[in-house]
Amino acid sequence: MKIAVCVKHAVDENELKVDPAGNPQFAGAASKMSTFDKNAVEEALRLKSAHSGDVTVLTVGTADAKKTMKEALAMGADKGVLVTADPMSINTGRTAELLAAAVRKAGPFDVVLCSEGSSDIYSGLVPPMVGEMLGLPYVGYAKKIEVAGQSAKVERSLEDSVEVVEAPLPLVVSVVSEINEPRYPTLIQIMQAGKKPMEEIAPDALLPESKPPSPLFVGMKAQAMARKKVVFEGPPEETAKKLVDALGSEGVLPR
Amino acid sequence: MRTIKSLPKSARTKAPVLAIYSAEHRRLMGIFHPSRHEEYEELLSSLGAFMEKEILPLSPKIDAGEAKIEGPRKALFEQGMCQIPFPQEYGGLGLPFTVYSNAVELLGTADASIALSVEIHNAVAEGLNRFASEEQKRKYLPSLLTGKALASFTLTEPASGSDAGTMATTAVRKGGEYSINGSKMFITNAGDAELYMVFAKTPVGPSCFLVRAGTPGLSFGGDLKKMGMKGSRTSEVVFSDCRVPEENLVGEEGKGADYAKEVLHGARIIVAALNVGIAQIAYDKSLAYARSRRAFGKPISEFQLTREKIADMKTGISAGRLLYFYASSVKESGVDFSSEASQAKVFATEMSLKVCDAAIQIYGGYGYTSDELHRHWRDARLLTIGEGTSEVLRLLIARREMARSQ
Repeated sequence: MKIAVCVKHAVDENELKVDPAGNPQFAGAASKMSTFDKNAVEEALRLKSAHSGDVTVLTVGTADAKKTMKEALAMGADKGVLVTADPMSINTGRTAELLAAAVRKAGPFDVVLCSEGSSDIYSGLVPPMVGEMLGLPYVGYAKKIEVAGQSAKVERSLEDSVEVVEAPLPLVVSVVSEINEPRYPTLIQIMQAGKKPMEEIAPDALLPESKPPSPLFVGMKAQAMARKKVVFEGPPEETAKKLVDALGSEGVLPR
Repeated sequence: MRTIKSLPKSARTKAPVLAIYSAEHRRLMGIFHPSRHEEYEELLSSLGAFMEKEILPLSPKIDAGEAKIEGPRKALFEQGMCQIPFPQEYGGLGLPFTVYSNAVELLGTADASIALSVEIHNAVAEGLNRFASEEQKRKYLPSLLTGKALASFTLTEPASGSDAGTMATTAVRKGGEYSINGSKMFITNAGDAELYMVFAKTPVGPSCFLVRAGTPGLSFGGDLKKMGMKGSRTSEVVFSDCRVPEENLVGEEGKGADYAKEVLHGARIIVAALNVGIAQIAYDKSLAYARSRRAFGKPISEFQLTREKIADMKTGISAGRLLYFYASSVKESGVDFSSEASQAKVFATEMSLKVCDAAIQIYGGYGYTSDELHRHWRDARLLTIGEGTSEVLRLLIARREMARSQ
């Protein structure tokens, strides 16, 4: 089975600082493999282990993204493809277009895996766009993937339910973090990852410069969460009831 | 429709996480290994993330006796923790000692008793790597470095510690065997280990032997009740006509005391690193507590006397870290590092106790009553004693420096 995984070298959300006006400080922030992409890589490795084959990791990123590629290779991926463009300076449509072109060039693949969204912007747009551009079926928010023969049975984790779908291979799947527990590469795997093949492709060599129609990322602001600091006074029998009523009216108790 | 509520928890919360591999470690590695620091940082960062997730959360349970260290220690071995400083031909990674000592600091932060167990295990591997025959290295090192076998270092006796030369355990050669008799005290990994490095007197002086678990005549006392380091097993090891073949002698007869000294010099750097790790977590906790605990209408971190403690704790940790990085780098350079190792150990172990004590003071009554905080002091308390007492090491430092200055 030939498996592709699309990953992103993203700002580390745990170390992202926010200025007093609520603007995230992306410049100079520490970056790493987007959190949920590790689940996509892990799932690719599990599929490889179950069905044999190989795993190719693809990303659109700057030279710094090599760190993320190396991490995926250390986890067990076989080769990497880096399309050298800064995803923060091109639109989402162009990122998807470049990834789709890179997948086409490195393929054909049976399964193309992505995560549900990047841990920095979390638009969740790239996976369905890649599916559309490749002309492949797309299944989003997978919490379980079973491949048998030329089709895949996928459990989709939705807000209030789990939907089970079957789709023919090849297909594009985005995974949610509950699908698996990503492995930690061992030290020796990290040391040997640098020896695995990593191809760098200039974007223009894949596709002429374009600006496909796409939602435009304008910016984001941190949301301040003010505490309500409600205090109930009185005997416990009364305050407990008041507390339950208040929680109920906030909609945080199951009905 | 998928709403923002269904985002994975990690995407929704921005609570700061404890990053045990920090920017300070990165900067120091950049100074001590400027040409390859990025490569080493990648390894340590991955190892630190593994420890944060798999070991740190277990640490309070290990202290409370509710979790065993075997599982996480095995997982750590599989990650390659013990392979770091050893040659690749024996299954090691061939990396600088500084990378290993830094890794032990991270482990000291995650769980001190696992760090102690690993430190002792690797001291045996260091002894084999330095003094064993080629055949012995090929026989034992690969399984030790990958953690397939656990090792234990047996030097201290019920009536001899720092004065190891007065040891009472003997090894008598009979035919093609040595018969070992005597007992060793306060032995880490005793009972759990598959391989024991044993120091016993022969007619020409102390010698070093390897005894495998299950050898007739090898037995163990009960587990010793300790104030800290609860996860690692510690007990007496008894040898009663315990016979090992001649080929289990390490190096030359009569050189055992020299070998033990050499191994302990390296181990002292590691103990220093371990204590910096303990101090770091006590500091991190007390800093967070000082910010949240209020007195007289404001956080206690606003008071000058709390700030004095924070400043002194942080300065001590930084100094201890620099000392063990420096001692590691002197060891790597191949020259005598006994004084630097001892300086790092004396300073870091005493600093760690002071930091843990200050942390308890900042926590007040909660510090005295909470295992979650005072366990760090209890763990740290061992190490001004083990692997060379502060008193003996001060003598060593003075003797060495006076000789150097002549």
